[in-house]
Amino acid sequence: MSFSHESASKHVTGEAVYIDDILVNDQLLVGRVVYSPHAHARILSFDLSEAQKVPGVHAVLCHKDIPGANQMGPVVKDEPCLAADEVICVGQAIFLIAAETEEQCLEAERRIKVEYRPLDPILTLEKAIEHQSLLIPPRTMLRGEPDKALSESEHLLKGELRTGAAEHWYLETQVCLAVPGEGNELTVYASSQHPSETQALIAELLGIRRNEVVVEVRRMGGAFGGKETQGNHTACWSALLAGVTRRPVKIRLCRDDDQKITGKRHRFLSRYEAGFDNDGMLRALKVELNSDGGCATDLSIAILERAMLHVDNAYYVPHCSVVGNLWRTNLPSNTAFRGFGGPQGIAVMETVVDRIARVLKKDPSEIRQKNFYGIDSRNVTHYGQTVEHNRLFLLYDQLMASSEYARRRKETDTFNNSHEFLKRGMAITPVKFGISFTTSFLNQAGALVNVYGDGTILVNHGGTEMGQGLHTKIQRIAAAEFGVSVERVKVNATNTSKVPNTAATAASAGTDLNGMAVKNAIDTLKGRIAESMALYFSEQHKGDPSRPDTLVFEDDSIRDSKHPDRTISFVEAMGMMFTRQVSLSATGYYKTPGIQWDKARGWGHPFNYYAFGMCVSEVEVDVLTGGHTLLRTDILHDVGDSLNPLIDIGQVEGGYIQGVGWCTTEEIKWDEKGNLLTHSPDTYKIPSVQDIPKDFRVSLLKDVPNPNAIRKSKAVAEPPLMLGFSAWLAIKDAVSAVGNHDLEPDFSLPATNEVILLAVERIKDEVKARRGAGVEV
Amino acid sequence: MITKVTFLLDDVLETVDFAADPSVSPTTTVLNYLRGLPNHKGIKEGCAEGDCGACTVVLGELDGDSSIRYKSVDSCLLFLPMIHGKQLITVENLQNGEGMLHPVQQAMVDAGGSQCGFCTPGFVMSLFSLYKEKNVPSRAEIDGALTGNLCRCTGYRPIVEAAAHSCMHDGLDQFTERKIHTVNLLKSIPRGPMAIETGKQSFFRPSTIREAVSLKRLHPDAVVVCGATDVALRVTKRHELIGKIIDISGVEELRTITDRPESLTIGSAVTISEAIIPIETSFPALREMLSLFASKQIRNVATFGGNLGTASPIGDTPPVLIAYGARVVVTDGGREREVPLDEFFVGYRKTAMAKDELIKAIVIPKLRNGSLVRGYKVSKRKDLDIATLSGGFRLDLDSRGKVAGLVLAYGGMAEKTKRAVSVEKFMIGKPWDRRTVEQAMPLVDNDFHPISDTRGSAEFRMIAARNLLLKFWVDTTGKDDAQL
Repeated sequence: MSFSHESASKHVTGEAVYIDDILVNDQLLVGRVVYSPHAHARILSFDLSEAQKVPGVHAVLCHKDIPGANQMGPVVKDEPCLAADEVICVGQAIFLIAAETEEQCLEAERRIKVEYRPLDPILTLEKAIEHQSLLIPPRTMLRGEPDKALSESEHLLKGELRTGAAEHWYLETQVCLAVPGEGNELTVYASSQHPSETQALIAELLGIRRNEVVVEVRRMGGAFGGKETQGNHTACWSALLAGVTRRPVKIRLCRDDDQKITGKRHRFLSRYEAGFDNDGMLRALKVELNSDGGCATDLSIAILERAMLHVDNAYYVPHCSVVGNLWRTNLPSNTAFRGFGGPQGIAVMETVVDRIARVLKKDPSEIRQKNFYGIDSRNVTHYGQTVEHNRLFLLYDQLMASSEYARRRKETDTFNNSHEFLKRGMAITPVKFGISFTTSFLNQAGALVNVYGDGTILVNHGGTEMGQGLHTKIQRIAAAEFGVSVERVKVNATNTSKVPNTAATAASAGTDLNGMAVKNAIDTLKGRIAESMALYFSEQHKGDPSRPDTLVFEDDSIRDSKHPDRTISFVEAMGMMFTRQVSLSATGYYKTPGIQWDKARGWGHPFNYYAFGMCVSEVEVDVLTGGHTLLRTDILHDVGDSLNPLIDIGQVEGGYIQGVGWCTTEEIKWDEKGNLLTHSPDTYKIPSVQDIPKDFRVSLLKDVPNPNAIRKSKAVAEPPLMLGFSAWLAIKDAVSAVGNHDLEPDFSLPATNEVILLAVERIKDEVKARRGAGVEV
Repeated sequence: MITKVTFLLDDVLETVDFAADPSVSPTTTVLNYLRGLPNHKGIKEGCAEGDCGACTVVLGELDGDSSIRYKSVDSCLLFLPMIHGKQLITVENLQNGEGMLHPVQQAMVDAGGSQCGFCTPGFVMSLFSLYKEKNVPSRAEIDGALTGNLCRCTGYRPIVEAAAHSCMHDGLDQFTERKIHTVNLLKSIPRGPMAIETGKQSFFRPSTIREAVSLKRLHPDAVVVCGATDVALRVTKRHELIGKIIDISGVEELRTITDRPESLTIGSAVTISEAIIPIETSFPALREMLSLFASKQIRNVATFGGNLGTASPIGDTPPVLIAYGARVVVTDGGREREVPLDEFFVGYRKTAMAKDELIKAIVIPKLRNGSLVRGYKVSKRKDLDIATLSGGFRLDLDSRGKVAGLVLAYGGMAEKTKRAVSVEKFMIGKPWDRRTVEQAMPLVDNDFHPISDTRGSAEFRMIAARNLLLKFWVDTTGKDDAQL
């Protein structure tokens, strides 16, 4: 059933509290991070004395002031909290200031003197490759004999694809409020997808113990992966200032600083060779993925891995090799972003399939359908996992019909034949996305469920709410498991003192993992309650006892299914538990079963299951300006048995539009010194209301229960982003129509108006040249 | 002389005394003022530059003697003194006395219009302003009301749905019920010239042109603002302490619109929103450009005078105004003179105005029969984006179908809005046909040498600039693609 987001009323009234809204007293200090203006430089000397003299300034800190480890790398310890001798990107933190006002912070910053010796930075993937600036040794995956299969293929295709970086553009910028308690105690209100990691890093940084740090996350104003590790940074800086000054400290990055300091989606330079036959069947694929990791490791290894695991997208490739290179550059360390490398891998495959169709002069939809993973055969991925519960054909057949693809394709051709300056294009693209962390041990979750004597329930779990509706789903899961109305259940702010040692809320797996952990806790509680209530019923019916296992929890009551007259309201029963000495607090724990993944070999069963979706987009391109309009989009997406269609459709629509943004208007540019040029919404353009399709039709695939997740549901967050490729390839299709589909457009991602116009111009020039040479076009 | 700022908030008249309260200054934004209060944390800062709309509030202004006009504004670009005499409405004010959600709030809940919720208060305020302004708005009107709000979660569809489902009660709500009371409170606020001095900063709000000009003479270093949507960035982004500000938005003489048979005169302090209806019939190409001008929130405060006075080479209105043959009326308080707009811009952010002159108005001549004007804006995103390049073109044909007059004004191609003179010269006397236009296109290269920047490369600008000529030809000849 559809229910609004559990905080919807608070959102629309402004009551919802974000970190910057927490009421604070006048003891609060404003924190500020001072960062490197150089992409690569030695720090020769610095002088903080004048800055420290500014009235109202309580601390100006450098790396020497860190009591514990100067480190905030999440996986590899290669990210100092504050730079010591060398800076390796513009935006790297060097000093921290705490003062009573922001103006005092700014004044102190102006008075800091630093002497740098600039060093040669690496700012492009080309230069990183030239200098062999690798973060890790190359990774490989191999199935079959791709070289041999390529040489035996009827057709060969070679190419290079660039996919751009992207800024998360969560509406709430990075922010943290750290409040010291007695002794070493610190309570940290963080905007973090990973409170346990935030806690651990702060403890190490301050040289204190984890049981002295509490991290709490009520909600984030958007995250999209951007607060999986990099929410830690602002939290660490705030905590350090609070630890030193023993005053509450809040750091909130302004939008420009947030964009300059934080990492982006990894840009990729990918090379591919594909072999296929006359029917368009893929025989072999060789892919080399070059990922720009930025200046440190962050999550780049897992992101590259997921890209490698998704170069197949929805298609069976008998012979396949994938090489993944992770390059170090002097840009802020790139990080998780919805899709986590998947989009970069899938972009390559969608380009290949689209190009096969163009070579063979066939409709790309036909080539796609032919190459889909089979149901009973041709169903093993290039890393050895069998594609089970394949929904591709179901989605394809239903979507081709509901979108009237064939009829509209004809109309598009007719339109293009009669228009010179406006061209239309269409594309259908699928997504198959593996659900699970590929770092297998992360697939775990914990919960703490408390029931109180008034029959209200407080659910704590390790997942964080960033707008995706996790708490709304958890609330319903808990209510359903207890058989009570949803109003009884409140989901608490995520808090490391309630549920410790958790994984990040990421990989689309928040509900899958935490929902199961909550269910496990509730099962424990129901067991205890049932035992006590069976005794209670038995006391009242001497000689005809109730058994715990026949008690059911439903309709806000507890009932003996064998004796329907034995019923007690949930509230009344809970009121009795204290006197009956039953604990109404239980923890739950869950780890995903059946996952095994041999990273070194690139082989195994890394995913619990796959999520599927499909999308048809139609666009119109103005060939004189390069502008485009999304005319219509039809999406059919597989979320299993939806836990909440309103929320799931919201995720699908929002994910698609985010994907369209990455594919079209969102362009990141740096200057030759490594300064981010597109550091504000003035120049970095995420989609606005008029960029959405004029006709936008989104449905969920029906009657497809998923046996592998809570209540037969399926993860949703990331996969729909990759449906944005249909808009991207529809634009390419429209550009291709300029040359009557005889010439293939040069294309990259994002397809900005500039990319589109230049592609159009090249085709026009080529047509002219061919006409001049007497070539029939 | 008014020295304190008074406005209506939470149904109470609030007075801010800058001399007595060191926590505020004349350049404190309404956003920061509100967020400093314990009970107005609903509005958010998303960008502090008027691009995201998370800080949207609605201002209620007296309209005539007994009504109130509501308009959405970005509170991050609004200095506190600029809301003097107005009602400041925030998201916390929308529930009625019984705590019921406002129709626009309820519709947002029902449609699933919020996910992370951070942009939501801003959207709700834009929807509220639409609710008060339009009954049963069209999709275009809904889009127009929401272009100034960014959402990264939803993909906007449910928010558009919420607008369509809620804006249907003739704007009736508790604000309607309290209107008389509100009007009386607003009327009780003293009007007239304002001068705020804090020692560090001065903020003047004159009531007449004469006062404004004499202030400018007295304070040649003062910054003149009206909507301040551009100048505010110096405070919010560059943390500048602007010493002296002269706000001319209170000068009634600058706020008039005069419609004559031969021309339309728009006062320099008329907002873009206020000008849209008056220009609609006679100047459709300008109307089209104004619909792409920034966002609703910014159009509600930004002015013609500001867009011309800032003399940006990428301003939205100059090319099409030049195409219409617009003239700028400047005044030094006594003497007035008219400057053709294409002579008004003399360099990068430089105008032909003398130090003690102010823009009084812009005069737009109405077109002769047969004149054709079009405006074009090429930008990365359709809405709320600064033009990579833009064009304002006018064509007059003689009786034989030859080009008798041609104005080709381009923005974003040079240090100022500039005409493609060699193309214009080439085309005069020639037939307005595709072959000739295509011959003229390469001549654009003689007129411009644009730069490459974040918005586009020089190559892209040149290609698009040439192509706009062809586009103009297609549009003016009515040669639908199908006939080509």
